[in-house]
Amino acid sequence: MSYLQRETPILAELCTFLVEDQYGELAARVFSVLARHGRQTLAALVRASYLNGRQIKHGLVVLIQQHLLFHSVTESDVNYYEIDWQQSYCLVRYGKVLKLVEDRYGKKATNVISNLLTLGHTRIVDLKEAYFPAPEVAESRGGETNGTSLGKRNANGERVNGTAIKTNGITNGVASKQDNLTNGDGGHANGVKISGTTNGDGAEEDAQEENTIQSVDELYAIIYHLMQQGWIMKVEDSQFLSPGDMHDQARAAAVDENYGGNNPTGNKDKEVLAADILQRKRRIRDDWLTVPKFPTRKRQNAEPDYGMSNKRAKISHGNDWTSHGDTVLLDAGYTTSQATSADLIIRVNPEKVTVGMRTEQLALLVETRLGYTTSQIYRVMLRLLETNLARCYEEWPDRIKDDPDAPIDSRHLVTARDVAKNIDRSIDLFESLDPHAIVQITRKGHVDKHHRLSNPIDPDSLTLDDKTKIIDKHIQLLSDDPFHFVTWHSRAGYSQWHVEFEEIAKSVIQQEVENTVAARKGALGVKLIRALRKKGKLDERQTCNAMMMSAQDLRGVVNDMTVQGLIQTQEVPRVERREAKHSIHLIWYDRQRAREKLLHDTYKGMVRIMQRISYERGKVKQLLIKAERSDVVGNEEKWLNRGELDALKKWKEVQEKLLLQLFREDDLVATLRDFIGPLISV
Amino acid sequence: MASVSAAPSPAPPTKDESAPVLATEVSPADLLYDKCAESPQGTVFFQRELSNMQVANSMAELTRLLQDLCDRHLMKLMTFDNEPCWKLRSKTEAEKMRRLTPDERLLYHHIDQVQSEGIWSKALRARTNVTQQVLTKCLKSLESKDLVKSVMSVKFPNRKMYLLKHLRPSEDIAGGPWQSEGDFDNALISIVSTAVSQHVEQETCIRVPGDWNSYTPVDRTAAIAHKKAQVQSVQDIEDTPTTKSFRPPVDPSASRLVHRNNPKYPTAASISAWLMSKQILRDKEVREDDMEQLLEMMVLDGRLEKISGTNYRTAMTASDVQVFNGFVDAPCGNCPVFDLCSDEGEICARTCVYFGEWLSTESEE
Repeated sequence: MSYLQRETPILAELCTFLVEDQYGELAARVFSVLARHGRQTLAALVRASYLNGRQIKHGLVVLIQQHLLFHSVTESDVNYYEIDWQQSYCLVRYGKVLKLVEDRYGKKATNVISNLLTLGHTRIVDLKEAYFPAPEVAESRGGETNGTSLGKRNANGERVNGTAIKTNGITNGVASKQDNLTNGDGGHANGVKISGTTNGDGAEEDAQEENTIQSVDELYAIIYHLMQQGWIMKVEDSQFLSPGDMHDQARAAAVDENYGGNNPTGNKDKEVLAADILQRKRRIRDDWLTVPKFPTRKRQNAEPDYGMSNKRAKISHGNDWTSHGDTVLLDAGYTTSQATSADLIIRVNPEKVTVGMRTEQLALLVETRLGYTTSQIYRVMLRLLETNLARCYEEWPDRIKDDPDAPIDSRHLVTARDVAKNIDRSIDLFESLDPHAIVQITRKGHVDKHHRLSNPIDPDSLTLDDKTKIIDKHIQLLSDDPFHFVTWHSRAGYSQWHVEFEEIAKSVIQQEVENTVAARKGALGVKLIRALRKKGKLDERQTCNAMMMSAQDLRGVVNDMTVQGLIQTQEVPRVERREAKHSIHLIWYDRQRAREKLLHDTYKGMVRIMQRISYERGKVKQLLIKAERSDVVGNEEKWLNRGELDALKKWKEVQEKLLLQLFREDDLVATLRDFIGPLISV
Repeated sequence: MASVSAAPSPAPPTKDESAPVLATEVSPADLLYDKCAESPQGTVFFQRELSNMQVANSMAELTRLLQDLCDRHLMKLMTFDNEPCWKLRSKTEAEKMRRLTPDERLLYHHIDQVQSEGIWSKALRARTNVTQQVLTKCLKSLESKDLVKSVMSVKFPNRKMYLLKHLRPSEDIAGGPWQSEGDFDNALISIVSTAVSQHVEQETCIRVPGDWNSYTPVDRTAAIAHKKAQVQSVQDIEDTPTTKSFRPPVDPSASRLVHRNNPKYPTAASISAWLMSKQILRDKEVREDDMEQLLEMMVLDGRLEKISGTNYRTAMTASDVQVFNGFVDAPCGNCPVFDLCSDEGEICARTCVYFGEWLSTESEE
């Protein structure tokens, strides 16, 4: 985790804000001490802060429960605590996780995930207790968690009706805010809205029923399905090891086994050892994702179909949990060996979240480049692949690259026919295609000189074969695009494709840098970046030639972008005395540097937004205290006067706007940081 | 030494009328000159061709005649493949040459040798070994006599290159068709690139009207539910409510650009051929290289996309609204004082005027 874990002060600040927002001041105080001092023991923590040991322990418990800390017992029995930056940053994504899960698996799964996020990690049996409290179980704990889940249900229901509960500081609140915003913001989500409203206005009671988990069986089925899809993983001790500790352990084990405890000498041995360590780390990590044998599953063998059969419903945002729950679940026998799985501790898999985010972002990018229909097709393709993608990129790759000609794992391939089977029927597949292509496939009528079809065709009336062919045309558009969203693999299933995520991730990073430059410096800046990227290091005259412009027009932009850190400069002396006049002045663009700079700036922008939110909240603090009183909530019209209501509305608008921007900046962070590891610099 | 190039020299209009008048007492040298002048301009004569003209009786006489003509600057001695050859100069030019001082002639000789490539004044001095003052004076007088001209080099903007007056500077020093007087000709570039992008768009894209597929959607589920309701006289609660699949309203006049099916993607060669056939550019030739430079620039501009190695197509975006990213859409992304902004102090999130403007709220003073 070296690269991702790199501690930057700005990230520490951002994470501290996030922790404070979610888990309150005490946890944030402890967190900030660790952020400032790095890896610490408990005693050192006490020394470094004004808190006493008891308070610190309370804080640590919260942080550990949420996986925000690594802690490790080393040989001397002293416990060291260290921040898990990745997970801490992920706090900002909780709302997004719910949205991703809801799009894929419906409301009930979202409910489970949201509880898992609130609880950090939990035993399955505890989760079950929370949903279906046994009568004699201690009321306190069960009741509490149950309360949260109920609250969530309310939030869901209200979201459908177009209002949102604003409860600050807990996951619930953020989730509902986020969802509300994303729904309102995405113009593309037309299908979503419609299905949502139709559900809502049919019968609210029904909707409520549909969105609650009815039985223990169903709960288990959901958990099991999410585990198979990789969204939930089990918790193991090794997850609490910091990257350094994990490395040490893997190394120690490797040295013990292969070299009898003596450190190997010689370069070759060292390389073998390094490869071995990486392999061990990968194995430990992959082990977290293995799904334990759930006793309920008779259909275990047919598992891949299981996911597929339900796909269309998922994509069209139907919430068909009941139907498939019925088919899968109602085989007996799990109760007998329930005990074995009940003690399993589970949590949300953060790596899968980034995979989901990548799918959504790539689909959005395709939408801006190639249109809605093509983007929907791409989304289906990516979601089909998602099941078999544990993470966006291999963090610990072997030094020696695999054979590039090695056959691609068939699980990473998707065919046009798969898409045709799973695509939402309400999508007009003909959109953004050349009419000639359509006539060629349907063989009906011809195209007149205004490019109109002489025999209009209802896209709904297509056969599966024709549909496949039409979809193939869209996929070809995807593959022709300079981003090369898909790559052709073979003719199986009409056409079989794979996605070169690494290359796309690089292009997307470049795209974001260009977007940033476009907003700041306009088309000229983008042109400059692209020219430098293509040609490498250039002096002024070469730059002018590449861009076909005069030097005067360029100098200003070059200067500004150098100051912003997006362009690098270099001076190569030509004579012994390094005179400016006799030196070659080069400018160049380094994608990795620009990426880091932009990432850093984005973190800073997020911190500013968090600060502004707290400032804006401070301004209406008195009003909020009043509005949050239990007798006022729900009766705002009655207890608040006109001015107060306006102020409250204004505050909500401001908060929404800021939060939406925060989440969009998080999207940018994902693009810049999470989709691919560090790039090799020039 | 001098390469044989077909550089045109100004046609001497005098020769036709002078020839018949002087025919009676014309010297053999003039006769030779007139004979040579009959062949097209810029012809290079080898010894064999000259003796075939049957002006001189012997080789020695021919040599003498040629020497005579060379002395009068009516002919220029050159070599081609180590063989001597000669070229005519017009009489007016020769007249001008005769009036030159030896220094000027020397310089002229060297400038003549490089032809359209041009020669840098410093290099000229190095070759001729004259002093700077003489050089400047001579070049000035040569320029005033309309024999040579100077141009700025594109490659080395601070170098003055000299070449003969009637020659067009080569691309090395004057730049390609996109440059004029050492600078990029922005007006020309924008006109040509617009034309090219239209051409490429026509080749690779197709404009589809909004009502290109004006089918009337049949809603089968609705039809079934309707039928059922008729039969059962009560709507089945299990049936999906009658909703039509979402179809945005279509404006028949709105049109949309889509990528062509099976397009022939144009290349630099095909586009330059097209451009030359259109004759948009007068007296400029756009070769494949020049066109590639322009196309590459347009790719950088985001107007074209490069498909595979040599083919281009129009870059399209589905929506006209420019979307940046979360960072630059917030005030911070474009903030001029972003680097000065800190947690506390004069510039911070609380006092930020840009946030205030964006959210239309008050910031701290």
